[in-house]
Amino acid sequence: MEKQIYGLLAEFDTPTELVRAAEKVRDAGFVKTDAFSPFPLHEIDEALGIKRSILPYLVFAGGVAGLLTGIGLQVFTHVFDYPIIVGGRPHLSIPAFVPPAYELTILLAGFTAVFGMLFLNGLPQPYHPVFNVPRFALATREKFFLLIETKDPKFNYEETRSFMESLNPQEVFDVEE
Amino acid sequence: MTNLENYQAPDEINRWRTLALGIGGIGLIIWAVGCYFDSQNALRSWLLGFIFWGGIGVGGLGVLILQYLTGGAWGVVIRRTVEAASRTLLILPILFIPLAVGVTHLYEWTHLENDPIIQGRGWYLTVGGWIARAVVYFILWGVMAYLLNKWSANQDKAADMEESAKWLGTATAFSGPTMVAFALVVTFAAVDWVMTLEPHWFSTIWGMLFIAGWGLSCFCFVVAILALLSDKAPMNRVLGKRHFHDLGKLMLALVMVWAYFNFSQYLIIWSGNIPEETGWYLTRTKGVWGVIGLLLILFHFAFPFLILLQQDFKRKAKLLAGMGVFILVMRLVDMFYLIAPSPLIEHGGGHEASHFSWLYLVGPIAVGGLWLAFFFYQLKQRPMVPINDPFLENAIKHGKGH
Repeated sequence: MEKQIYGLLAEFDTPTELVRAAEKVRDAGFVKTDAFSPFPLHEIDEALGIKRSILPYLVFAGGVAGLLTGIGLQVFTHVFDYPIIVGGRPHLSIPAFVPPAYELTILLAGFTAVFGMLFLNGLPQPYHPVFNVPRFALATREKFFLLIETKDPKFNYEETRSFMESLNPQEVFDVEE
Repeated sequence: MTNLENYQAPDEINRWRTLALGIGGIGLIIWAVGCYFDSQNALRSWLLGFIFWGGIGVGGLGVLILQYLTGGAWGVVIRRTVEAASRTLLILPILFIPLAVGVTHLYEWTHLENDPIIQGRGWYLTVGGWIARAVVYFILWGVMAYLLNKWSANQDKAADMEESAKWLGTATAFSGPTMVAFALVVTFAAVDWVMTLEPHWFSTIWGMLFIAGWGLSCFCFVVAILALLSDKAPMNRVLGKRHFHDLGKLMLALVMVWAYFNFSQYLIIWSGNIPEETGWYLTRTKGVWGVIGLLLILFHFAFPFLILLQQDFKRKAKLLAGMGVFILVMRLVDMFYLIAPSPLIEHGGGHEASHFSWLYLVGPIAVGGLWLAFFFYQLKQRPMVPINDPFLENAIKHGKGH
């Protein structure tokens, strides 16, 4: 039976080689790509043509939602649902409402940042085909990897494989599904 | 070692210095005339200018200490600019002379000998004690600024990287304990010079308001100056968009801290609801003062906060500098809001709302012209970056990154 291929993985020795290769892959028009490195590479986002995350806008929306919830909750409980006089002040005492509203703003913005980041990254992900390549374990130590998925519209096994070999990697692996 | 000539400040600075001196000189003459007719408002306007511009100098010293403690590329590229700001502390005592001479026309407490609360403060709240403390503040700030500037100059003359790193280490070790002393001196000075305008009122967060506010002033000022210099040699080779991004983040943080401290003060006084504390806010939340207070919330906090949240905005030097100037104007309004509503002496301590005087514009212009002239003079004295700093190369590279 023919093996199911998830994609092609190229191994590089240095981050510079990886970034150069990623730029060529992007310029060749591949979009379903990914890069793996033992440490963050700021240049790789641009080299692979990865778009800016929408996370900041989600976090802002989360913060606004927290603020409105905080104010709404307090106005509802103190003014409409159960108005009692505290310290001789009006039911609608905005200064007293600020700290809880502020805390809820931060809470929901923080939750949105953490869970939004996990969701947008597709995490948690207990299985990923790249782990079928034994040498991929080195991505956490000293090697740099570049992946092109078969799902890419431009993917053609023979052509893509020879293209990746033209990038001067150490080796190109088939990643089994 | 690195060639000194490559990082000399551009000659435009001399032109700016002359311009500032001219404006300051004209302002000084108009102020002196105003002082003859209305000494009290003239002195208050001088105090406003002194607190605002002197605050950038004091903030410059604070940021200088801070960047030695935190490290980071932003600190290396702004160091020479904040050093020049910290050296303006040399002329603060001169700018202070009108206040010391006119102290009895400025502070109501100089006329309240029979007031039991003022009596209870003893020698502390007397003209002698007030002036003696000011001298102590200037000496302490002066020593801090002198030593840090001297060690930084030694770096330029260092024979090799090791010697340069040694001076950097000295400055860093000095900055730790000095930060504590600095915060204390600012607290005492802010209480003496501004809070005693309302002698019966007190707030324990007052010093923090000025530490945060003056730090914010300093960052806004530095961003404006560096944006002006960023397309001229030598700073066009040094500054990158990431430096402005980092400085923009610090502006955002301090805008929030300023709002946080101010609200803390307000909330505690509002909750306590004791007459001796609420008076200060009662004056400032009514009529015109209330409108100014609202404008401060909107334009000293909400508007800069929402704009500075955006990443792209902070990476554009000219836009960020525009925001810096806007915040500086609001800083001036904030200082005006603290000073101007305080009771005038000849009205027997009443809280009239009609404290506006055209003189309030003259003081900040006069002090500002003189202060800026001295700042530009100091900025021209040294290379624009610490040329032998071990982290300079990395700091420049950081700015060009993503």
